[in-house]
Amino acid sequence: MSLAPLPGRTVRAGRPGLRGTLLVLPAVVPALFVLGGGIGAAVAQSLGLLPLIGPVRLSLDAYTAQAGALPVSIAVSLGIATASTAIAAVVGFAAALVIVSGRWGGRIVAIISAATVTVPHLVGAAAIGLLLADSGLLPRLLGIDADAWPRLVGGPWWVAVVAEYAWKESAFVALVVAGTLATRVASFDETAALLGAGRLKRLRFVMVPLCLPALVVSSAIVFVYTLGSYEVAWLLGRSYPEPLPVMALRLFDSITLTARPEAAAVAVVTTAISLAVVALAFLALRRTALWR
Amino acid sequence: MSIQARSLTADPQRADVGRLRLPGDPGSRLTDSRGAGRVGRVLSAALLAAWFVVPLVPLALWAFADRWSFPAVLPSVWGTDGLESAIAQGAVPAFWRSLALGLVVAAIATPLGAAAARALTMGMVPWPRAVGLVLLAPIALPPFAAVMGLNVVLLRAYVPPLAGLVLVLVVIALPYTTFAMRVAYAAHDIGFEEEARTLGASPWTVLWRVHIPLVAPALARAAFLAFLVGWSDYIVTVIIGGGTVVSLPLVIASSAAGIGNDSAVAILSLTAILPPLALLLLLGLAGRRGAASRRSRPDPDPIDPRTARSRLHEPGAAR
Repeated sequence: MSLAPLPGRTVRAGRPGLRGTLLVLPAVVPALFVLGGGIGAAVAQSLGLLPLIGPVRLSLDAYTAQAGALPVSIAVSLGIATASTAIAAVVGFAAALVIVSGRWGGRIVAIISAATVTVPHLVGAAAIGLLLADSGLLPRLLGIDADAWPRLVGGPWWVAVVAEYAWKESAFVALVVAGTLATRVASFDETAALLGAGRLKRLRFVMVPLCLPALVVSSAIVFVYTLGSYEVAWLLGRSYPEPLPVMALRLFDSITLTARPEAAAVAVVTTAISLAVVALAFLALRRTALWR
Repeated sequence: MSIQARSLTADPQRADVGRLRLPGDPGSRLTDSRGAGRVGRVLSAALLAAWFVVPLVPLALWAFADRWSFPAVLPSVWGTDGLESAIAQGAVPAFWRSLALGLVVAAIATPLGAAAARALTMGMVPWPRAVGLVLLAPIALPPFAAVMGLNVVLLRAYVPPLAGLVLVLVVIALPYTTFAMRVAYAAHDIGFEEEARTLGASPWTVLWRVHIPLVAPALARAAFLAFLVGWSDYIVTVIIGGGTVVSLPLVIASSAAGIGNDSAVAILSLTAILPPLALLLLLGLAGRRGAASRRSRPDPDPIDPRTARSRLHEPGAAR
């Protein structure tokens, strides 16, 4: 680092140049390789340009081969992601409000939600399974017979899958929203109270607008994560219909030679949906009041 | 509504957000809840705490349950069958493998993210928005999609599975480390480093004695997030590792997919939860100690650049 004490030469007024480029390259090159190479190869494979054996032939066969199952999988994935994101956003927002209230209750919620964020999703899935299955802790506590207990794990409504995502990701939303709120919320909230705003009005006109950008960003991250995550739906879901990642991995591991391009096609479809959701989130972010 | 005198705080220092307020403290904020509102607040805090804790309760109960037949609310026979079964399934080597994977990912992704964040924050990068987007992009894309395509590329380039796995996990960790370090560098005062250079310190000395100590808490946070990526990954290890790298999540998955080994699953799950929790605790304690030592330092250390700088900024001090 050459921070020579020459007048007018400080790093804060740094200009784009070779130094900065060299500092970001070690991070940017692997990222471009993994994302560009990975998505590029998936697109090429799905179009028949990277066959394991046989001639290279441009075709949409991989997409049309699963024409029956693919729309159902898209619907299931979107449904799970929407339900999980909605619950996580509402619970996470409530938890953030409790955290920034700054009382001991808020501090406990902050510590517990920080601990929840560190739990691997696979462990969360195993735990939710032990809680909600027909021989789980919840039917034992409620004294409901295994036959009378609704099929939450592996059932038609994906309840256990949504519960796991909502549980883990609400902790994530809470930490992100509380982190952006903590710096400025006290003065705004106090000022509004001094000017005569009641509890509901402060929530509606102070808290919600202050939280909205962080809430939109974290919800978009949760949605995209849920859409592309494999292990929870695989462990707690049912075998048909399958969410997109489960379908892709089943095709990927299949011994049929035509299945690899079909797995790549499912991967490309999932990527396209994720990018569309991120683009929508950016549009929503621009409409929030606090966006510069 | 009427404004009561006791609700106005005269001393601005007392308006701290995070400070514990005790009954009898002078002044109480207008936003403090009283009566029914207070009950509601305590109740909602308790409900939220339960929401976060309850899913983990079965793990704790199952871990040392040798027999727990259905209608019983508590295990009927306690024991260590689950522990023995978990060890027989290879929990111990898998634990060390996962720990090594997490540490390697953290050791690589943290400096890469820090360097990129510094260059981005200081405005030293051409096309900063594009570079920032590339480094955040891994969070917006489904990892299994990129990894399925990349698998072909890595196989054709003869990259060993372990190297490919570390590469992908580092890229997945980069958004977290870059973001954590960008936040830190945005609040970082480059003046400390300039002054150390002015006083004759070499660039290396500045890096090790001034720059890194100042951003150390943020580096620890970034490294923790990167560790979590390597520690908890399942799908990338399955696809890229191709079964050659059996990490702890893989053992948990194969155990959980079977039937009848609930206590082994619980033991394995607790094994996967505890190391990150211990790190989080260390991080919290270190942060608290750092904050305490900054607050209660009676005699400013003249070599400490923080106090040195604040002295330079005192009125009358020659710069």
